[in-house]
Amino acid sequence: MTQSNDTSGRFNAVALRRTILQMAYAGSTVHIGCAFSIVELLAVLYRNHLRYPGNDPRAADRDFLVLSKGHGVMAQYACMRELGWIDENAVRNYFSDGSKLKGLSDSRIPGLEVTSGSLGHGFSVGVGLALGARMRRASRKVYALVGDGELNEGPIWEGALFAAHHELNNFMVIVDENGFQAMGRTTEVLALDSIAAKFQSFGFETAAVDGHDEQEIDAAVRALWASASTAPKALIAKTVKGKGVQFMENDNRWHYTRLNSETYAQALALLGNPTS
Amino acid sequence: MRGAFSSALIRLARHDPNVLLLTGDHGYALFDDFRSACPAQYINAGIAEQNMVGMAAGLARTGFRPFVYGLSAFVPLRVLEQIKLDVAHDLLPVVFIGDGAGFVYSHLGTSHQATEDIACARVIPDLAVYSPADRFEIDACMQLAYDTAGPVYLRMGKSDRGDVHTAPQGEAVRSPLCVRPGASRDLAFVATGSLVRSAVDIASTHFPQASVWSVPLIKPIDSRAVAQLCGNTRVIVAMEEHSVFGGLGSVITEIAAAHSPTRVLRLGVQDRFSDLCGTYEYLLKEHGLDQASLLRQINHFLSPGT
Repeated sequence: MTQSNDTSGRFNAVALRRTILQMAYAGSTVHIGCAFSIVELLAVLYRNHLRYPGNDPRAADRDFLVLSKGHGVMAQYACMRELGWIDENAVRNYFSDGSKLKGLSDSRIPGLEVTSGSLGHGFSVGVGLALGARMRRASRKVYALVGDGELNEGPIWEGALFAAHHELNNFMVIVDENGFQAMGRTTEVLALDSIAAKFQSFGFETAAVDGHDEQEIDAAVRALWASASTAPKALIAKTVKGKGVQFMENDNRWHYTRLNSETYAQALALLGNPTS
Repeated sequence: MRGAFSSALIRLARHDPNVLLLTGDHGYALFDDFRSACPAQYINAGIAEQNMVGMAAGLARTGFRPFVYGLSAFVPLRVLEQIKLDVAHDLLPVVFIGDGAGFVYSHLGTSHQATEDIACARVIPDLAVYSPADRFEIDACMQLAYDTAGPVYLRMGKSDRGDVHTAPQGEAVRSPLCVRPGASRDLAFVATGSLVRSAVDIASTHFPQASVWSVPLIKPIDSRAVAQLCGNTRVIVAMEEHSVFGGLGSVITEIAAAHSPTRVLRLGVQDRFSDLCGTYEYLLKEHGLDQASLLRQINHFLSPGT
């Protein structure tokens, strides 16, 4: 297996989705579909690529994972739980009065790098992080995870011009191409056509993968970093919004719908458990 | 004043190699000296202000000290959300320089004029707001912005109206600065930026007993000093090349309302855009901020019947 150099069994996709469901049910929250589409992407990054010396989310020489699409934050919480950065109480008491973990990425939480949810911010911050790392001659890498709907935002393309012009080949944007945004399909709202072609025309080196195939993701990330090109990288991951629970898949209502005891039980049953 | 700004920036950049200048393709001649003195610390981010501010946050997170330059019509206004979320929320040490505030670009119209920037900036939590009046104040404000090591918006307005001080101000800029002493307990002038010069001129000619104060730090404001001045003075005239909503006049009235029954006349830009263009002096007059108009409004406020 090229999939893993971490044999602990951490970041199992089913286990991560169960945590997401647990949090979503505990907090009666929305954005389940947005989190489900990026589970395998985050699992591969945390397991095989992101460096956190000393398992410290604030380590001075860590890599940066910028969740620009803040709506997927529960998937990141699920990974942070496995890393021991979030305790069980925080999962059980998600959204309770006076709790810290919010429904969108908040940079004051160790492990989250930006305050996002207003879209199009994390990409630019990530470009700045990549520029800063290069000016310091540090080998730190920056991953900015954006949604395909988020590509409607202008600053993304401002940042893309800058990253390419300055040859920031320590910067990788990962596009969660689940085909949906808040109010409908991306093809209905603002058609994006070929995302890869767009980033190529901006001077990025691109790769396209099935965003739920961990081996494919891992191989593509490695290949992009291994490239001798000075271009910044774009990984276009074709995903399914709501992936993992059949009645949520490609049903945009799960951008907004909250779980009840019945749908929670059904979703858990459909997911199965990590060992099965 | 712009020369003092450039010198201060070069001084800071030479002192600390982490100081960076980011510009959104503005400041053509202004940065010639900086670019030759510290070429590696100069970044032209292109005509892309939102990305520039997001990048400044990323650079600050990797230990740099960005000074982000733009016209005040764009920085802070166009990038207010980036300032709020990417910078201020995490107390990052980024200094925003908004040049050409007020009616400096008098011929270019509304897109290049900024009379709402103080109001917008001061409601962002933890964002300081500086508004220097002359080269001594800007030098001190630049040093303070660096030393503060937090988010700062520094407003640079009309820069050639002459000095109001005769010596460097240093840390004193944290409080209102007395630029013209006066014994009157009836009237005091409190102004910021370009209109400090006007306040001094009006007081000297027409109200020789009135004191004149310059306020380079709109936020954090030395509210004790302001409350004291309000407590000692029957009428305060606040003057600024900015909207009467949310700027220095508002700051003074907020403090006065809590601490003292003084009356405050807020002289500034009324709630409207510039319909017409012309010289800077023309536009001041068009907005009632030339000396004759200011004097008329003051006299009317002091003696409404006349």
